[in-house]
Amino acid sequence: MKETTYLDAIHDALDEEMAHNKDVFLMGEDIGYYGGAFRVTEGLYEKYGRWRVIDTPLSESGFTGAAIGAALMGMRPVIEMQFADFISCAFDQIVTVAAKNNYRWGGKTPIVVRAPFGGNIHGGSYHSQCPEGWFLNVPGLKIVAPSNPYDAKGLLKASIRDDDPVLYFEHKFLYRRIKGDVPEEDYTVPIGKSMVVREGTDITVITYSAMVHVAIEAAGILEGEGISAEIVDLRTLLPLDKEGIYSSVKKTSKVIILYETPRTGGIGGEIAALISEDIFDYLDAPVVRIGAKDTPVPYSPPMEEFYLPKAEDVVTAARRLVAY
Amino acid sequence: MSTKVIMPQMGESVAEGTILKWLVKEGEKVSKDQSLVEISTDKIDTEIPSPVSGILKKILHTVDETVPVGSVIAEISEEEAGEITEERAGEVKTPVTEPPLKAQVSEKTVQEEGEQRYSPLVRKLAREYGIDLKKVKGTGIGGRITKQDLSAYAVPEVKRVPEEESAREEIIPLTPVRRIIAERMVQSIRTAAHVTTTFEVDMTAIAKYREADKDAVQKGQGVHLTYLPFIIMATAKALRDNPLLNSSWSDNGIVIKKYINIGIAVSLGDALIVPVIKNADSMNLIELARESQSLAQKARDKKLRPEDVQNSTFTITNYGISGSLFGTPVIMPPHAGILGIGAINKRPVIINDAIAIRLMAYLSLSFDHRITDGAQADKFLSGIKDILEGWGTKSEKVPVTETGFGGVW
Amino acid sequence: MDIEKEDLLRLYYFLKLTRRFEDRITALYRQGRILGGVWTSNGMEAISVGYACALDKDDVIAPYFRDMGAYLARGITVKRIMAQYMGKKTGVTGGKEGNVHVGDISLGVLGYPSHLADNYPVAVGVALSFKIRGETRVAAACTGDGGTSRGDFHEAMNMASVWKVPVVFVCNNNQYAYSTPLNLQMAIENIAERALAYSIPAETVDGNDVIEVFLAVKRACERARAGNGPSFIECKTMRMHGHSEHDAAKYVPRELLEDWKKKDPVIKMENYLLSNNVASQKDLSEIDAGIMKEISEAEEFAEKSPLPEGEDALQGVYATPV
Repeated sequence: MKETTYLDAIHDALDEEMAHNKDVFLMGEDIGYYGGAFRVTEGLYEKYGRWRVIDTPLSESGFTGAAIGAALMGMRPVIEMQFADFISCAFDQIVTVAAKNNYRWGGKTPIVVRAPFGGNIHGGSYHSQCPEGWFLNVPGLKIVAPSNPYDAKGLLKASIRDDDPVLYFEHKFLYRRIKGDVPEEDYTVPIGKSMVVREGTDITVITYSAMVHVAIEAAGILEGEGISAEIVDLRTLLPLDKEGIYSSVKKTSKVIILYETPRTGGIGGEIAALISEDIFDYLDAPVVRIGAKDTPVPYSPPMEEFYLPKAEDVVTAARRLVAY
Repeated sequence: MSTKVIMPQMGESVAEGTILKWLVKEGEKVSKDQSLVEISTDKIDTEIPSPVSGILKKILHTVDETVPVGSVIAEISEEEAGEITEERAGEVKTPVTEPPLKAQVSEKTVQEEGEQRYSPLVRKLAREYGIDLKKVKGTGIGGRITKQDLSAYAVPEVKRVPEEESAREEIIPLTPVRRIIAERMVQSIRTAAHVTTTFEVDMTAIAKYREADKDAVQKGQGVHLTYLPFIIMATAKALRDNPLLNSSWSDNGIVIKKYINIGIAVSLGDALIVPVIKNADSMNLIELARESQSLAQKARDKKLRPEDVQNSTFTITNYGISGSLFGTPVIMPPHAGILGIGAINKRPVIINDAIAIRLMAYLSLSFDHRITDGAQADKFLSGIKDILEGWGTKSEKVPVTETGFGGVW
Repeated sequence: MDIEKEDLLRLYYFLKLTRRFEDRITALYRQGRILGGVWTSNGMEAISVGYACALDKDDVIAPYFRDMGAYLARGITVKRIMAQYMGKKTGVTGGKEGNVHVGDISLGVLGYPSHLADNYPVAVGVALSFKIRGETRVAAACTGDGGTSRGDFHEAMNMASVWKVPVVFVCNNNQYAYSTPLNLQMAIENIAERALAYSIPAETVDGNDVIEVFLAVKRACERARAGNGPSFIECKTMRMHGHSEHDAAKYVPRELLEDWKKKDPVIKMENYLLSNNVASQKDLSEIDAGIMKEISEAEEFAEKSPLPEGEDALQGVYATPV
């Protein structure tokens, strides 16, 4: 075991996968010589050369298409959107080509699109968005979002080895702030499986990525008030781990879904619908969703703080739910 | 035999066409592909070529008539014998949409005006425990009845036992694991209609196969080849052939699982745990041996992760190792069945009217009679028996379906 | 560059097969026996056949929807395509896709979406993989004049040039993108000029002359295999039918169509073969008879093939099921 930051865990996963499979290669802007805008790919260019760590022109759509072509030939490209916000430039290639290739004509397309997402870094509208909601409705894609270094490394390896297009959302706020124990030997975290990160009996908080840490903070506060919160870290957003979600909800009967995208049209709606449709009889209170405000991400600190979900939002909702 | 001529759809949004001019008269001969009629649509004016050779028997719509796409506009009768043309009028099967899930409405949940509303969970618990909600005091917001209120209501009376008797009794506190096992067992017996059927299986073929291979396997793969992986493999195959045994009962229908995850019961001191071999039907003998042993070890070392014990579709329990011959195992909810393996012993049996000594075992299948009947269950169990008894003698060819698309799929 | 007799006959066979096959599909469409839409390459067969035949067996093409000649030249049979048009299980994609939306990785034909020029960056990626792995294979992509207005077209040309990958970009300039003529699409005279902006060697060829297309693409392949990067071949032609078979294309001036009718690529090739003694009239008739038989067998096969089950729609969403 080694204590590793969230960022280093991602770097190590890339390094290890490239070392043991020569078909794995990287493409993105500034990832090669510069080492990446966040330094995630530092050192890889020197180690693997310019044709395995490719500095692309400013062409998200173009190099996503190129990744698809290389993947169809059996390679395993891992491409990077410098900020997840720029994934909208590649939206067409992702949903039109990558997502549907296997279904329509048996064209396996094993690409991984890494996208640093999330706010709280004074980034404003185009450096802080969480775009996963735009892709949830596209069958053929897989979407993952780790919350800690162990999952970050394991899920990235699993995504690279997976034969389907995977959108891998890494949270930029967690890069250097979160450290954790990571095994030195090879391991993967399965796609499609959630994880209970904190056991509890009174309410369930279903969440992912940076919001897991917000939930943990809230759970600590609630513990002091005698409220026991169970936290389920989804880890994979598409396809959802219904079993994992349901088994926790059946236990507590009260649910909060916590996510960082704007509330409307986010994953909370889908999960809430699944719960009420499939396990209605286990609910002892309405299903509550806490998302970011329905606005673009504002810049000025008091406004961004207002925009993002916080621990006190979770605590307030939990108190009401428990008393309901 | 007559062939219908239909108004074609020339363009996705086109819904109708108009007859401009018939180029052939009724009763006249036509040959295949000869232009029959001129039509006009929103998008294009064109001619329709005749689909077959024959005589234009009947014209059903005349000049200037506008008809919907798909309508029959003429009939051609074929004069040549031997050319059987089937009616090609577009057979569009309208998909049958399933009615949406019926919300469970029981009489008890009909609310009259002014009455208190109860949450789904509270109604369910009240039904299950026979509690009259009007008698319960609610402590939730606005006097709402909560789950906790019901638990408080249903606490049973504690009977005080006279002193002399209580001195001769010892109470072992219930661990959470024991509570869960107890709850599950009772739930299973109460919900599933348990029936057990038993077959006698000759394990001699397996024993031979195992004897021949087990040292090589231990040395080469580091895996101890016991009888269990053979049985798991046979069970997985039999579950594939009998999907009803790989299902669960639900009020909306029998849920047949398309994946086969076999749980293997492991006894740990006072607890019973069932680690799961996922996708057992895709593993070979060695992989099954390795996986089952690794899971059992993890169970003993208390290193099982939640995913290791979740999502099974069928269970195997091997009580034979503690000497039991027969069993009537309890189904692990919500499965359709559980296979019990009895002790594998040498016994005298009759083969071809002579007495022979063979290695025999009784395999007992407890199945949920709500989901399947005896004949089906026996078919499943006899399938397992056949596979085990015929080990190493049959080879199975996997049928390949011709689909017409090459390469990757 | 010389051209072998067997290549000439091969080019002719696929020209004639494409023409006859698309004519039959059109007839069936007008009889209501084919579902959905029909887009043919009538008058433009020389481009698809020319470029596909110029490639080697293990090269890869990323075609678009007006490339029937290319699908056929790479080995997708008329049987499978006819079955696909009828929505049958035995069609190229088992019912998942319809009409011209084919794809068969084993024959090096990539499936493509309806979004034009999305295939251009994909072809660049294919060529990139050849370069990284040190293979002498070539990737080719084709789109129409319409597709060259899209961002992906330009991003692909730029990347191909910067990375110097072995890709041949073909453009079917048939002068109309649905109802939009060239002068409403671009301010330039020749689409080949676009390639120069990306420092890509380009040629403008007669798209109705299958030999010219074939030789130009062969030259481009040689350049690519030698490590000299991408090329762009603009093939000038005329779209003889509407955008699709339900489009009367009244916006096209009749004189333009009459002019181009005289340059029919199939007839052009027939004349070439006859006047250069490569084939006799009897040979050509035999080839045609063989083709008609192939097509009628394909029709019978497709008619007799089963439709897929409704539930088959659930298969294949993921390559690795979760």
